[in-house]
Amino acid sequence: MVDGIITGFIIGGVLSLPVMGIAVVYGITGVTNFSLGIIGVFGAFITWILLDYNWVFAVFMGILFCFVIGYILQNILLNRVSEKGGDKNLYFIITVSLGLVFTGLIKVIFPRTNIGLSLPSMGLFTIGGITASGLKFFAFFFAVSVLILLRILEENTLLGKKWVATSQNLKLAKYIGINTKRSFCIASGIGYALAGIGAILWASIYNINLMSGWDLTFMGYIIAVVGGIGNIWGGLLAALLMGMVMSFSGYFLGGSWQSVILYAIVIIVLIVSPRGILGYEKSI
Amino acid sequence: MKNLYKTVGTIIFIFLIGLIFLFIGGYYKWLVGYIFLWIIQGYTAWFLYIKCNQPFVGYSVTMGIGAYGTIILSVVYNWPIIIAIILSVFLSMIVAILFFLSTSRAKGFYVTMVSFLMAILFPKIIDATREISGGRSGLYFKGFDISENVFFILILLITILILVFYSWFMKTKIGQILTLISENDNLTKAIGINTFRYKILAYGIAGFISAIGGALYVNYIGFVSSIDLNVFTTVYIAFMPIVGGSKVFYGPLLGVLFIKLTPDIVRPLERYMDIFLGISFLSIMLFLPNGLGPTFEKLFKKAKYTIVRK
Repeated sequence: MVDGIITGFIIGGVLSLPVMGIAVVYGITGVTNFSLGIIGVFGAFITWILLDYNWVFAVFMGILFCFVIGYILQNILLNRVSEKGGDKNLYFIITVSLGLVFTGLIKVIFPRTNIGLSLPSMGLFTIGGITASGLKFFAFFFAVSVLILLRILEENTLLGKKWVATSQNLKLAKYIGINTKRSFCIASGIGYALAGIGAILWASIYNINLMSGWDLTFMGYIIAVVGGIGNIWGGLLAALLMGMVMSFSGYFLGGSWQSVILYAIVIIVLIVSPRGILGYEKSI
Repeated sequence: MKNLYKTVGTIIFIFLIGLIFLFIGGYYKWLVGYIFLWIIQGYTAWFLYIKCNQPFVGYSVTMGIGAYGTIILSVVYNWPIIIAIILSVFLSMIVAILFFLSTSRAKGFYVTMVSFLMAILFPKIIDATREISGGRSGLYFKGFDISENVFFILILLITILILVFYSWFMKTKIGQILTLISENDNLTKAIGINTFRYKILAYGIAGFISAIGGALYVNYIGFVSSIDLNVFTTVYIAFMPIVGGSKVFYGPLLGVLFIKLTPDIVRPLERYMDIFLGISFLSIMLFLPNGLGPTFEKLFKKAKYTIVRK
């Protein structure tokens, strides 16, 4: 029982990172981006390749790659599509296509398509009688810290205020002189970087392969949609709930029913409450 | 009138291709039959997603119900194939209608998301129930006890019949109301039309025909596994009319040819296939927003004009 709760919290914590990525990107740019997970996994592969040099450097490079790619894609592709009046279905096609390109690039560039990252395990920790590897605790607390940091960023910095203004009224934001394109690019970069951190942590706890990027994206969207797409608190709550669902359904019904239960719950939630548990929010 | 020529031309083209490859035989005949099965799915997506503007992308689910219903009922439970097909086709129709009824409160993109999630869920259910469905290892199927050529002709005729039906249906009063709904749902309601009833009909037709395609698929291929009906199957089906051109009747045909033949044509470059397809989709969306069909048409007209001027 206790094991199930710990596993649930850890899965939820790690999954909440791509969810936050989705929340940031959707909340600010309005783009439903299906390439986040796969590019995040690409970042994890870069970390894996560079791991022999220095693990801090390798992790940093993986995250930096995701940020830069996110910034560039938003700048040269998604902003242009948005200017031409792109709708959600068009974003869906474009970002799935981007995901295909990066899936192919992983196949071509890296010598293996199934990897695990050996990051320092950080020893064993016991909190409230529960013992688990430090890395797992770190993953959970890191995710919660990122969420708090994002909130602080949104409420107390100029960039955050620009984001709120841009997400609430794009035309007015442009009118008062906010460089909305740059705001979108930074938001997109941060979204991809969060997905990258999620993928790196996932690869250090479990293994990742060619399909993991899609799984992270779909899981991320499922959780984001259940929590209320664009709503960061709803996203975290949903991530923890879904982590529990995955952990307990896997424990009681076996691994193959884990995702079936998860997806079935999401479909039911969406049918009953199309705007998610806490409703949708067009800002982070 | 021009549109009628294009519709008739598309149907005659498919019929002639079928006849030619029936005589050529061998692998290419098999490939053409395989393409026909995807044409059924491509035109179903064209009908529901484009013409009726319903944001449903769970085509691999309706196709999968047709395929798995047929194979499980006839292989596992020893039911006659034809009964298995009829039951699974009606089951798929009911699932499509139930999907619509349960998501009718939601707005466009949420419906897309739910149907997309259904498409992700379907292979996972197949994997979880592998004792019956075969999961990733799949189920083998002997299919109809008829000769290969007769079955090929049957697929050809059913494909043609489905295309004729879609083209005819969109010209009927019901089809025109569906077009009106796709243009402006609220306006259609305002003039006193019960749009709900028409949408149910559209979902029912799409579920029914997509499952026929699925049932024919397992009979033709003789095998189905959860890998054949994964989330990319639905993505590619939804892309077919968009890539080919949604505004012309032959658009989905071009989309099917592009998506399903490309892997066969560039087989030596299989390693680069995802990159190639991804870049192709991106390029089409960015530079040819009307799809391949209208672009070819424009180029053809330009070439004709240049030749006439010379």
